[in-house]
Amino acid sequence: MQREDKQLELVLENFQSKLNEFKAQIYALIFKLEHERDNVNWTTVLDTFAVFSTQYTAIMKYLSYEKLPQLRNYSVLPLMLNPERDEDLARITENRVPALSHDIVPDFLRTKTEPEVEHKLMQVEHKAGGLQFETAQKQLAAFNKVVNHVLDLVSKAREEWEVETGARVGIGQTSSVADLHTLVSAVSMGKNLKPMVPQVSPGGMMVPPTGRPVTPSMGPNTPPMGMMPKPPPGMKTNVKAAGAPHPYR
Amino acid sequence: MEAIKEAPIPAMDSLTSAMKNNIVPNQEYLLQGSVLDSAVEVLLHRLRGLCDNVDSGPETFHDHEMCFSIRSVTPQPLTLRVRRAIDYLDMPYQLRYIGQPELGDKSRPTILRNSIDVATTPTIVDFLTEMGFRMDFEYILRGYMFRKGRMKITVSKIFKMMVVGKPAPESVDPISQSYLVELSVLAPSNQDAIAEDMRVFAEQLKPLVHLEKVDYKRLTQPPL
Amino acid sequence: MGVTIIQQFPMKENRTGAQIIEFLTKRVNALGAKQCGTFLVDCETYASIPQLGAQRTLHVFHNSEQPASVFAILDNGTGKTVPVVADALFDLLLLKMSSVYTSKKSKVEIRGPRFELNDFVIKIGAININHNVKGIIVEAEYRPCVVFGLCWDMLREFLQGFLGSCVSNIPPHYFQNRMNDIFQPLDTIQQYLDHITIYRKATGILQQYNTNTT
Repeated sequence: MQREDKQLELVLENFQSKLNEFKAQIYALIFKLEHERDNVNWTTVLDTFAVFSTQYTAIMKYLSYEKLPQLRNYSVLPLMLNPERDEDLARITENRVPALSHDIVPDFLRTKTEPEVEHKLMQVEHKAGGLQFETAQKQLAAFNKVVNHVLDLVSKAREEWEVETGARVGIGQTSSVADLHTLVSAVSMGKNLKPMVPQVSPGGMMVPPTGRPVTPSMGPNTPPMGMMPKPPPGMKTNVKAAGAPHPYR
Repeated sequence: MEAIKEAPIPAMDSLTSAMKNNIVPNQEYLLQGSVLDSAVEVLLHRLRGLCDNVDSGPETFHDHEMCFSIRSVTPQPLTLRVRRAIDYLDMPYQLRYIGQPELGDKSRPTILRNSIDVATTPTIVDFLTEMGFRMDFEYILRGYMFRKGRMKITVSKIFKMMVVGKPAPESVDPISQSYLVELSVLAPSNQDAIAEDMRVFAEQLKPLVHLEKVDYKRLTQPPL
Repeated sequence: MGVTIIQQFPMKENRTGAQIIEFLTKRVNALGAKQCGTFLVDCETYASIPQLGAQRTLHVFHNSEQPASVFAILDNGTGKTVPVVADALFDLLLLKMSSVYTSKKSKVEIRGPRFELNDFVIKIGAININHNVKGIIVEAEYRPCVVFGLCWDMLREFLQGFLGSCVSNIPPHYFQNRMNDIFQPLDTIQQYLDHITIYRKATGILQQYNTNTT
């Protein structure tokens, strides 16, 4: 008996972690829908739903694994309904269920689909069952034809597109790593942008951002030589200039 | 008129609770790349197709950025940036703190860095100077801005200013034959899902532009 | 947004701040003013570390009337002050500066009831320095006008109407060179700073006096 209990606990734990994983994915989708409602495209949503469906199947498979205790043999029944807010319940359900009230219990503890849904499902199944074999074959053939046609269109478009992009590769180089490094070190550290030789103070001395002496071998982006190594007196006036009010202020 | 009945909450308290609830956008996810001047038209064309602001066309900008620093007892100076629009003089100035970029491991698609963005009055330049900040460097940016959901894409040309404090067109010089391309999102902590979207978007710009996590530490080393 | 002026109301002996506020509340109620919530203005002061040379002082204000803004006023120690108005996140940036500007641990809060009376807004607040009530401050705003010089006379008369003779006939010092400028929220804050400075000095003298006598 005890062994069984332990096993049940283990199974529930596993089950919960799977559910939490699933929940996180659903959260991510909701977050996306809330924040980027205007430009979520259907393909990504469809992909996400495909992932959900796989998750769901995996969970169902796990539950039906025969060595597991049959969860369906355990029943949950509400002992007491209470319209008052229950803090503990709110906490464990992350504020989704504030109270175990008459309103929500029929939905949360439901084991069968809603009668309305069940009825609709029956209707559809009945209709499918009553279909003649020949009519079904005919519909299948027509559907295949349409799909094949669309496939043709898509592959043709793809071929054309590939030829086009193939041609575009011919443009040659469009970006340069050296330029990227020049630009990024300029905006992040002011490399080649400093108006003067960095000030040197006895306490904390400011190392030039490159960590090497300024030499003409710095590359094509070095500003004219005259700009860089300024004598100390020039430096002082520059420091003042930075402190003085700017004309655009 | 509906009167506010509750007592006002002290500003610091409401800021603290905003921080606790993770609604303060204080992190920037970033990818950077560059495109040669000759190919920028093709890139703009592609961005026009991919991004949201198609109808209005790309938004242009012309900004002046100044980088200020102050030295304290710690060896690392505190650096703040001030950015202002040259083409819209009545816009607020933007004061910005940017933290050390974190590259993370291979599984993280973008650079992550702390970022605090504050709109201020134009007096901020004088204010920082009087506080004891010194201007380290300044530059001009000119370019285009695109949006795609929460992502921001900028394509900008960086100019060096030949005269301190004078951003006039005749006294600026481009520092490279390329445009800087940046893809960024400013978000509260723990929204790593957006980084994945950025990676996907960056894929769509290949091979025209390779947006990558630029390693700032390696930039300080002399090239081999 | 109109023109706001700030007036001290003298503390009386054997009366607490709350009692004076109650007393003034009765008077403005008698004028027909309705209470609309409460207000809060706070100020934190920071000083630069000695390594930066001349000591600079930074005052950072929040005002519940402009809840999304932070007002910062820097005094560079040589008589020049520079104000900045910024977004609320400026407070976060200040934390980054804590190694160069340290808090002087002298938090000032002015809070109390807020009233509306047709075109006027009246606020009656107790000024707390480090949680001790130091005085009473009355703020009056005339909303339809944005130029101080055009409505000073009326505001003065209005204030004298319920505060009595403590309201001077001479415009506040702060406005003497700003009679015809467009009024901005920052002008309210600057006036608060002037008053806070006076109270702080007074406290300093009082403390000195106390330490001398003991």
